[in-house]
Amino acid sequence: MKTRLSSVLLLLLILGSSLVLRASRYDYKTQDRDAILAPATAQHWTGTDDLGRDRAVRVAAALLIGLTGAGLAAALTTAIAAAFGLLAAFSRPSSGSALMFLSEMFLSLPWFFLLMMVRSQLPLTASPAETAVATFLILAGLGWPACARAIYRGALELRSAEWMIQGRMCGLRTGQLIRRHLLPHLRFLLLPQFLVCMPAFLVAEANLGALGLGVGEPLPSWGSLLLELDNSALLARSGWVYLPIALLVLVLLILESFSAEEHINV
Amino acid sequence: MNLLMAIASRVARTLLLMLFAAAGTILQVRFAPGFFSDPREMDGRYAQAARIEMQEQSSRQEFAGRSAVNQVEGWFRGDFGESRQYGVPVSDLICARLRVSGSLLVRGLAQGWLLALCAAFPVSGLRGGGTLWGAPFTILLAIPTAAMATACILSQTGGPILVLTLLIASREFKFLHRLLTQAWRAPHVLQGRAQGLSVFSLVRRHILPNVAPQLGALAALSIVTALGALVPIEAIFTVPGVGQLAWSAVMNRDLPVVAAVSLLMALLVRVTGLVTTRTLALEGA
Repeated sequence: MKTRLSSVLLLLLILGSSLVLRASRYDYKTQDRDAILAPATAQHWTGTDDLGRDRAVRVAAALLIGLTGAGLAAALTTAIAAAFGLLAAFSRPSSGSALMFLSEMFLSLPWFFLLMMVRSQLPLTASPAETAVATFLILAGLGWPACARAIYRGALELRSAEWMIQGRMCGLRTGQLIRRHLLPHLRFLLLPQFLVCMPAFLVAEANLGALGLGVGEPLPSWGSLLLELDNSALLARSGWVYLPIALLVLVLLILESFSAEEHINV
Repeated sequence: MNLLMAIASRVARTLLLMLFAAAGTILQVRFAPGFFSDPREMDGRYAQAARIEMQEQSSRQEFAGRSAVNQVEGWFRGDFGESRQYGVPVSDLICARLRVSGSLLVRGLAQGWLLALCAAFPVSGLRGGGTLWGAPFTILLAIPTAAMATACILSQTGGPILVLTLLIASREFKFLHRLLTQAWRAPHVLQGRAQGLSVFSLVRRHILPNVAPQLGALAALSIVTALGALVPIEAIFTVPGVGQLAWSAVMNRDLPVVAAVSLLMALLVRVTGLVTTRTLALEGA
């Protein structure tokens, strides 16, 4: 029931954002010089920012970009974790230990610190689209180690299960065993990892953006929209400035309810 | 003898991981675009001299692996190098800021845990309504640290300690609530309740000893969470701590500082990791 309600809410948010982007005559980077810091009007439903850009359009675009980016990054990091964990579990014990040592190395630094360090070393001349792709790729590239370790342990246990031995005796290759038998058994680890990563990546992008290391302007993102909160002049003029943070919290609550539900089901 | 070997192997592994993490950081920063850029390039008067100096520097540091080895050798001699950005020894920079960050960490962690425990204990004893009572923590969990810090600045309420407290409390409440709910529902606790033991004695004699190992592990993990949160909190509140130093060093490609901060962070994470593993091992036993 809770999951269904969350799914409907999320779907409504996505549909609403797509509709706003389609219905508005402005795009996320068009500057209306006659309506800088404008309050809500018929032209700009939720007002404009300090460059005269339509806030509703920017928030809608940020929501879609954030969800798409975080979704793809979460899928990628889950795939990397699965590949790494399975490789370690099915290789020689010494190679498996070496691979786990490598994953432990990534876990030796606090995640956000590592993220900030890697993200800040990218070229400063990158285009906004490139920074968006790079940010989410870095999130995906650094989010896998903890899950890979869990998958490694899970796969090691399953490797010696009777049905795996039976499969091997029947002549199934390792690849077939993993694809047909092991991965379905590891679903209880992979799906929660994906669901936990989605909100975590959205929060990380917002925090990076607030430090000036997120998606580059003029492309809208949660991080760049949160930076608007620093402008006290803007806050005094319009309450719509709080729209991005309100929507972000709503999206995160929805995503966290999915992961909590999955945890209960497991 | 076996115990000594196990301890030695664990310590050696920790040291090795720390070294690898720090060396990886050095190589990553060293290969970053703009590592050899110099602010003097922008000044017409010094452009020529700066360029010559930079060429000399880059020819000295041509081999990245060598610079990593030099840096690590320096650490063993107690020399962390000189900050490119501030022109002072890195050890002086970090030592001055350690106290600020340490105080922030200790106070934030202590208050966060106190808040989470005070909320989780009564809520875990309830038969229902846990979701409702936990709602404020769930909402807090969904607010990015940076947004929380900005809200504090705008409302002129609280500061870095409050943000860290709320962050830790919101994260730990979820785990503590689950842990304590399970502990309250344990058969021996139910038996104790049926026999009329007071809540205080149940908590002191039956619940706390049972959940202590998990609490220890959780506390160690929350140190890692707090370490990660130090960077945005200190950067946004301009607290002169290690997190702000790390942010400024990373943005300015200040290699010696980044490497030293990475080593420090890795040391703290590995030591808390050792504590966690030890606690879980005790629990297993």
